[in-house]
Amino acid sequence: MAWKRLLLVFGIGAPLIAVLAFGFTRDPREIASPLIGRQAPPFDVRLADGRALALADLRGRVVFLNFWASWCPPCRAEARALEASWRRHREQEVVFLGVNMQDREDAAREFLREFGITYANGLDGGNRIAIDYGVWGIPETFILDRTGRITYKHVGALGGETIHAKLEEALRGEVSRLEGKGEYRSIR
Amino acid sequence: MNTARSARRRLAGILMVLAGLLLLAPAAGAGGDDLEDQMRAVASGLRCPVCQNLSVADSTSELALEMRALIRDQLRAGKRPDEIRAYFVSKYGEWILLSPTPRGVGLLAWVLPGLGALAGLGGAAWTLRRWSRRSAPPPDVPVPGAALARIRTAVAGGDLPGTLSAEELRHVEALQELELDHHAGKLSDRDYAELRALYEARAAAALLSSETPRRRAPAEGGPVPRHAPGRRGPSPRVWRWVASGVFLLGFGMAVGFFLSGAVRARDEGGSITGDALTGTGDAAARTDSLDLRTLLERGRQAMDGQDLRRAIDFFTRALERDPEEPTAHASLGLILQRGGHPDKALKAFDRALAREPSLPQALWGKGLVLHESMGRTAEAIRAWETLLAQDLSREDRERVTAMVAEARARIAGRTSPAENVAPVTR
Repeated sequence: MAWKRLLLVFGIGAPLIAVLAFGFTRDPREIASPLIGRQAPPFDVRLADGRALALADLRGRVVFLNFWASWCPPCRAEARALEASWRRHREQEVVFLGVNMQDREDAAREFLREFGITYANGLDGGNRIAIDYGVWGIPETFILDRTGRITYKHVGALGGETIHAKLEEALRGEVSRLEGKGEYRSIR
Repeated sequence: MNTARSARRRLAGILMVLAGLLLLAPAAGAGGDDLEDQMRAVASGLRCPVCQNLSVADSTSELALEMRALIRDQLRAGKRPDEIRAYFVSKYGEWILLSPTPRGVGLLAWVLPGLGALAGLGGAAWTLRRWSRRSAPPPDVPVPGAALARIRTAVAGGDLPGTLSAEELRHVEALQELELDHHAGKLSDRDYAELRALYEARAAAALLSSETPRRRAPAEGGPVPRHAPGRRGPSPRVWRWVASGVFLLGFGMAVGFFLSGAVRARDEGGSITGDALTGTGDAAARTDSLDLRTLLERGRQAMDGQDLRRAIDFFTRALERDPEEPTAHASLGLILQRGGHPDKALKAFDRALAREPSLPQALWGKGLVLHESMGRTAEAIRAWETLLAQDLSREDRERVTAMVAEARARIAGRTSPAENVAPVTR
């Protein structure tokens, strides 16, 4: 009898509790990206200054690709760090490219002006680029190495030190196994 | 037994029909010629990445809207539904599929419910069988006539209760009650005879076991005294203690491990685990008990942390305490300005300045609104100059001076940073 009860507890109860406990440690909104380590989806984008840009033209340089919106608080939080990192790395073979999504164009321009952003920013009108990159939270950042492979993905606000470390890794062609995570907002 | 088999067969039939329906349903949905129907068929199988438990077809979010447009475009371009699904899987992973592909871990989602149902049915059947067996007359156990006779005397009231043990008394009372029920006509003769035989056997067994005194470990009140053969090794009770100990230790270690990782200092009104565990935002801040000064302080902290929603909440509460609180008005003005409501922001700043004409935050914000959003640069300069007349930190003073210089330049040259960017229409 005692053995039956033990079996019941350890055979069914304990695994059940373990599964539930594991479930509690997970963020149900978080979507692990299958893109890391793969070639970045190509796109053409219209920049805020009116020029057009193709991702393929940036081959040979490390690309810091940041999806943002002016209404998203974590995007505001990281904006100065991004601009500072751009100034720090622009001498290296690094390109910063922002992609504005789910936003009004005037609000986006206002954002760029408010934070004095000097790197290129594209306007993703239909959000097709965002969907192509599996974006679900905002801000999201992808780092591409010189061959156009995604070496790192970060959901949420980024700090200068992480940006520096991950750009250095991308310059060496190293792929991060894990995604980074900061404070983010779900996109609308 | 025969009925059980036919029931089993019928159940299997029902399950197969259900499974068939489940398999056919999506196929039938995709069969529509209409583009919209096809789009819906694909979209209803995809999980909306920004909602909880809604499909792309059902969600009203902007992203889902765009995904539906994308599906429509791809269908028009001649893509097959499974190709489109594969596209989304390649971007968002298997996560995006509402029904996971029956492979690997995803197979569990398909198999486990069936297994669970089978286990439940099996368990129910087993339990029912056990119940029906238990209520059947007990196997003929030789009941010593002497014990039986003693029980019968006791039931008839011939034995003094004091000479019986508690357990025996219980059996005797049950028998007396049974007899009463029988007399009252609540029991049929057959049932009475059966139950009486059962109760008497139990009572006699109890009597016997109490007469052979406590040499054995006390067995659970089974009907037949157990002649347990001598066991080797520790008794099951020891094992039970050991197992419970191990389990408790493991449980405690797991709790310690997970809690230490999950619990953190929580801010006022936040949940215990907060978003660290559940991914949900913090609960509505409980601000009722806070005084005005704390509300303003918390609001400022929330603003610094870019949590504008909470900041608004704190400042609004502050204004409930004091409808003309200048700092709250000025802070709300700054938030409104950021949120793209310059006219409301200007009103807020003016209210703040009405009470405290030299409030730096309000002066700064007012200048910002006038200069950046309303084009009333001259008035902005006036506001900032009032600000500069006050005691400011060096950093702030430099910033304001720079803004004033820029505003002056704009008046002079009528060029603004915004106009350097070529206007593009959507």
